[in-house]
Amino acid sequence: MSGDREMLTEVATGLFGDLCTPEDVVAAEATGWSERLWTALAEGGFPLVSVPEEAGGSGGDVADACALLAVAGRFAAPVPLAETGLLGGWALAAAGLPLPAGPVSVAVGAPGDTVALRGGRFSARLSRVPWGGRSERVVAFADDGGRRVVVSAPTAAATVTTGRNLAAEPRDTLVWDDVELPADAVGPAPDGVDPGALRLRGALARAALIAGALARVTELTVRYTGERQQFGRPIARFQAVQAHLVTIAEEAELAGLAVRVAALNARPDPAFDDVAAAKAAAGEAATVAARATHQAHGAIGMTKEYELGQLTRRLWSWRDEFGSERHWSRELGRRLAAEGADALWPSIARGPA
Amino acid sequence: MQFAPTALTPDEEALRAEVREFLAAELPAGHRPALGFAGRHDPEFSRTLAKRGWVGMAIPPRYGGHGRSAVDRFLVAEELLAAGAPIGAHFVADRQTAPALLHFGTEEQRQRFLPGIAAGELYFSLGMSEPDSGSDLASVRTRATRADGGWTVTGTKVWTSEAHRNHFFAVLCRTSPMEEGRKHAGLSQLVVDLAAPGVRISPIPYLDGSHHFNEVALEDVFVPDDMVLGELGSGWAQVTSELAYERAGPDRWLSTFPVLRAWLRERPSVTDADAAVLGRLAARARAIRHLSLSVARALDRGQAPVVEAALVKEVGTRFEQDLVAALRDAAETELDQGADSLFASLLAEAVITSPSYTLRGGTNEVLRSVAAKALTA
Repeated sequence: MSGDREMLTEVATGLFGDLCTPEDVVAAEATGWSERLWTALAEGGFPLVSVPEEAGGSGGDVADACALLAVAGRFAAPVPLAETGLLGGWALAAAGLPLPAGPVSVAVGAPGDTVALRGGRFSARLSRVPWGGRSERVVAFADDGGRRVVVSAPTAAATVTTGRNLAAEPRDTLVWDDVELPADAVGPAPDGVDPGALRLRGALARAALIAGALARVTELTVRYTGERQQFGRPIARFQAVQAHLVTIAEEAELAGLAVRVAALNARPDPAFDDVAAAKAAAGEAATVAARATHQAHGAIGMTKEYELGQLTRRLWSWRDEFGSERHWSRELGRRLAAEGADALWPSIARGPA
Repeated sequence: MQFAPTALTPDEEALRAEVREFLAAELPAGHRPALGFAGRHDPEFSRTLAKRGWVGMAIPPRYGGHGRSAVDRFLVAEELLAAGAPIGAHFVADRQTAPALLHFGTEEQRQRFLPGIAAGELYFSLGMSEPDSGSDLASVRTRATRADGGWTVTGTKVWTSEAHRNHFFAVLCRTSPMEEGRKHAGLSQLVVDLAAPGVRISPIPYLDGSHHFNEVALEDVFVPDDMVLGELGSGWAQVTSELAYERAGPDRWLSTFPVLRAWLRERPSVTDADAAVLGRLAARARAIRHLSLSVARALDRGQAPVVEAALVKEVGTRFEQDLVAALRDAAETELDQGADSLFASLLAEAVITSPSYTLRGGTNEVLRSVAAKALTA
C-alpha cells in the first residue's frame, strides 16, 4: 500500500470511529442516513476520492477509493460514499459536468429501468437507486440522437418511492416524467464511459465494502468466541467453533486480497476479469462467512443491538447489488470459455501488474 | 495477517515464461496430466527438470542447488502443477527434506544429500505416521536404542508414499523413553536408507488399486549416529517448526486444476450454467493464488506467516475438492477411470483421490485448531 493510501485509511478510520459507532448506525437506521457523518466526510473531501482534481474532485485513484470503501464497510457507514465519487462523480467528470455539492447516486441498471431523453426533456424510471431520495443528482446514461450521453438528473424533479435493502439502506425508485433538465445536466459520454463500465465500478465498490465488513466480522467473532464461556471454557476452545473462526478468516482474507488486486489493477479503470473475479469471490465469501459467524455467535448475533447484524445484513444485500456471485461467475466463465482451455491457467495466474 | 497483493518482477515474469515454454515442449497437448504433487513418479522428468535448475531451487549453490527465492520456487511449482507435470519423484525431497536438512541437518548431512536432491536423483519419503499415530504424532512408538556407533531402530511406519521407489526416509521415533507429562521430549528424526537390512516395505493398495502407499517395517535397523537429523531429541520441534509454513504452496490448491482445463477443452459448447461453474472456480482459484503467492513473498522478506500458511492450506485443499464436486455436478455422467474422454477419466481419478488432499500433511481438523489458536491468541 502506498504511504498516501495508508494515511488516507488511517484518517478515515479515525473519522468513522468517532462518527459511525454501532450506536450511530442503529440510530441512523430509521432514515438510512447519517447527516453528521456525511457532513464530516464531505468536508474532508472523502466522497470525491478518485475523481480528478481538475474536475473538482479530491484526486487519488480507484485503489484509494476502494481502500476508503473497505473502511466504510467495516463501519457499516450509512452514506452513499461509493455512489458519489467512484461511480457518479467518475461519470460526471468524464462528461465534463459539474459535481454537485450534495450526494450523488447512479442508475444501477435494475431490471425494468427506462431512460429517455428527447429535446432536452427527460423521462426515466430508475429503481433500487442507492440513497436515491437523499441525492442531489442521479447519474444515468441516455441516448441523445444516436450519441451516448451522461445525464445528471436532479432528484428534486423526480417522484421518489422509498425502498430499502436488508440493512435498511435506501434503495429508492425515482421517476422523472417529461421534465425539463437544467443546462448543466447533459454531457457527452466518452469511450469507456458507459453502463458496462459503471456496473464494473459498482461491483468493485460493493466488493470493497464486503471486504471491509468481513474484516470486522472476523474481529467480532474472534472477540466473542474468546469471551463467551460455556462448559467452563471459552467457546473458541471447541473444535467445532474453531472451524467457523477459520472459515471466516479465510473468506475475509480471500475477498480482501481479491479486491485489493482488482483495485490496484484499475489504471485508470477497473478491468473486467479482476472485478468479475473479485465480486464473485466476495459474494461467496459474504455468504459463507455470514453463515459461520452467526453460528459461532448464537442468539446474541440475532439481536438488533449487537453490531454483527449491521454487518451481516449488509453482506446479504451487497453480495447481490451490481451483480450477484452467480452473475459475475457466469460473465467471467463466458469470457474464459471464449478464450479457450489453453488460456485458462494464464488468466488465473494473473496478479497485480 | 500479512497477506498483501504481490506483483511479479520482470525477472520473475521471465522465469515463468521460460517454464511455460519448457512445459509446452515437454508435455505435448493431450498428455495425461498428473493430479497434484504425488500424481506421478517419473525420475527422468525430475532429472530433466533439475538440469534446467528447477529442482533444489531453495538449496544454496554450495550444495549443488540454486539459491532461489520462495517466489521463484512458487512460480515454477505452480506452472508444473497447473500443467499436470509428473513431479512425484523429487517433490517431497525438494519441498520438505531439503529445507529440513538445511535448517537442522549437520554439515556432513547437507553435503551428502543435498546435491543429489538438487540433481533430481535422490528421493525421500516421510516417516511420520504409524498404525496408532496419525494426527497425534507425539504418540509414535517406533524406538531407537543405543548401539555401537549409532542406533537400532524398530517399529512400523504406514501410509509411506513411494517408499518402494524412493531412497531414504526421515523416521520420527523415540530416542529416549516417554516421560510422564513430557510427551514431546525424546523424539528425534533419523534418516533411514530404505534399502538397509531390516527394512521391509510392503504395499498398502491405494483406493484406486494403485501402489502408492506402503507399510515400512523396521526390524533392528542400524542407523549410524551421523544420520540423526540435527540435534538428538529435537524431532518434535523439527516436525512442527516454522517449516510448516513452507508447505502452503501451490501443491495445496492446484492438484485438481488439470480436470477443469480438460473439461473446458472437451466442452463442445459452454452453457450459461457451465459458464457459472467455470467462472466461480476460476474466481476462487485466483483469490487463493493471491493468498498463496503472498505467503511466498512474506517468506522471502524473512517473515514467519504461520497462520497465513495454515489458512491457505486449509482453504486451498478444500478448494481442490470443491472443484471436483462442482465439475462432477456439471458433468452429469457416470464415472469411469477407463473412460475414453480425458476429462471423464481424470474426473474419476480425482473423485477417488481427492479425500487425501485434506488429510495429507496434517488433517484440516488439526490445521484449523492450530490456526484458530493463533487467531485467538
